[in-house]
Amino acid sequence: MDMTRSEPAVAGDDSSVPSGPGQLEPMLVSIARLGTSGLLRVTGDPGGVIYLTDGRIAAISTPGAPDPEAILLRSGRVPEAGWSSAFAAAASDGRMGAELVKRDLIGAGELEAVLRTALADALFALVAGSVEECRLEEAATPALLPLDPGAEAEWLLAEAERRLGVLAGLRAPVSHDRDRLTAVQGAWTPRVGPGDGRAEILALANGRRTARDMAFVLGRGVYAVTLQLSRMCDNGLLVIGSTRSPARAAGLRAVSAETAPPGPADANGSGGAPPLPRRRRGGSGQAGPRSAEKASVLRMLRTGVRREPSGG
Amino acid sequence: MADDPLLTEMRALRDRVIGVTDTALASRDGLIIRADTADLDPDNMAALAAASLGLAQRMAAEVGKGVLRQAVTRSSGGHIAVYAVGAKALLVVVGDVGLDSVRLDREARAAVETIESLLTGSSRGEGVRSVG
Repeated sequence: MDMTRSEPAVAGDDSSVPSGPGQLEPMLVSIARLGTSGLLRVTGDPGGVIYLTDGRIAAISTPGAPDPEAILLRSGRVPEAGWSSAFAAAASDGRMGAELVKRDLIGAGELEAVLRTALADALFALVAGSVEECRLEEAATPALLPLDPGAEAEWLLAEAERRLGVLAGLRAPVSHDRDRLTAVQGAWTPRVGPGDGRAEILALANGRRTARDMAFVLGRGVYAVTLQLSRMCDNGLLVIGSTRSPARAAGLRAVSAETAPPGPADANGSGGAPPLPRRRRGGSGQAGPRSAEKASVLRMLRTGVRREPSGG
Repeated sequence: MADDPLLTEMRALRDRVIGVTDTALASRDGLIIRADTADLDPDNMAALAAASLGLAQRMAAEVGKGVLRQAVTRSSGGHIAVYAVGAKALLVVVGDVGLDSVRLDREARAAVETIESLLTGSSRGEGVRSVG
């Protein structure tokens, strides 16, 4: 497995920055400590790229979660025509955010909130997935809508862990990028009044979409949609129809659940055994009598593999 | 048609590549062979894909940029990629805006090879022109 890095574009000496499977979190922490700028390319499922400015995370692009553009456009907060005009005027010289505000398409505060929320959602998707390789590169093209100043990596990592813990603690946990949901016919009666998004979810729940897929359609965060799907499953409105199985095509490197790398705290040799949930420093707040059960659910959330029924 | 090998391969492509929402297999003259779609009209997709693939191939030849690998349409709501499957068929892949296009490029070519061999095998026996 290639564990090399290309020539890094860094502010300081990054010789201690780790790279390789399961190293996303420590690598981000090291980058933050060193104040590195550049682009961290994460290979895996879903994988993505993380734009770094002085050690802070300015933007993330990943197939696993909607980026700010998708959120703003798909949610209808910014109209398509306005976006296109702003893009033509300002995208080439990196002023997209300022241009959106200047044209009154969105307020500065709301834009910052969207950017920050999108970052947290994207890092959640990366952390919840499998990481095959992390490669630090020079950012040849700046991000379209960077958060300035960027978010602290450790805060985002802690938030991603918190979110995984919350999802694992739900009564009907749903894997955000594996479980495809189907609406239960006749289980829900629409009410007159402000909607809570359930009608839209039910309309999308045709057995082909995961929480991630619905988030892209709706322009919402993956985590928020996953939470709602889980609660709707618990209420009998949805059932898991099928599970996405990202098996490998011949000749491509493995990124599936079966080959997901072990985390830094449980690197006890994979040897063909299923991957264990990763424990992290500061992540012990979820420990308790149900910790074993929660660990099993965490593994399901990350891999889509549901645990075998217990004997008791 | 749960065990249809063509549909199985198309569904596997949707499984493997994040963001793929629909796929369709059609003949070069725009008639649908198999469809793994939800809200799209496969017949219209097939006809338009055949036209766009032909146009893209002519464009690639006109500008002398080699053999066409895929014809891609990118819009504000997603992506449509059309791949030639041998000389007689094509594969349409529809994805959302988050489509992992790098992975699609690699996975789709493997899928196209498999589908081509399945079509070649099918054409020796029974016909393959039926919507799944």
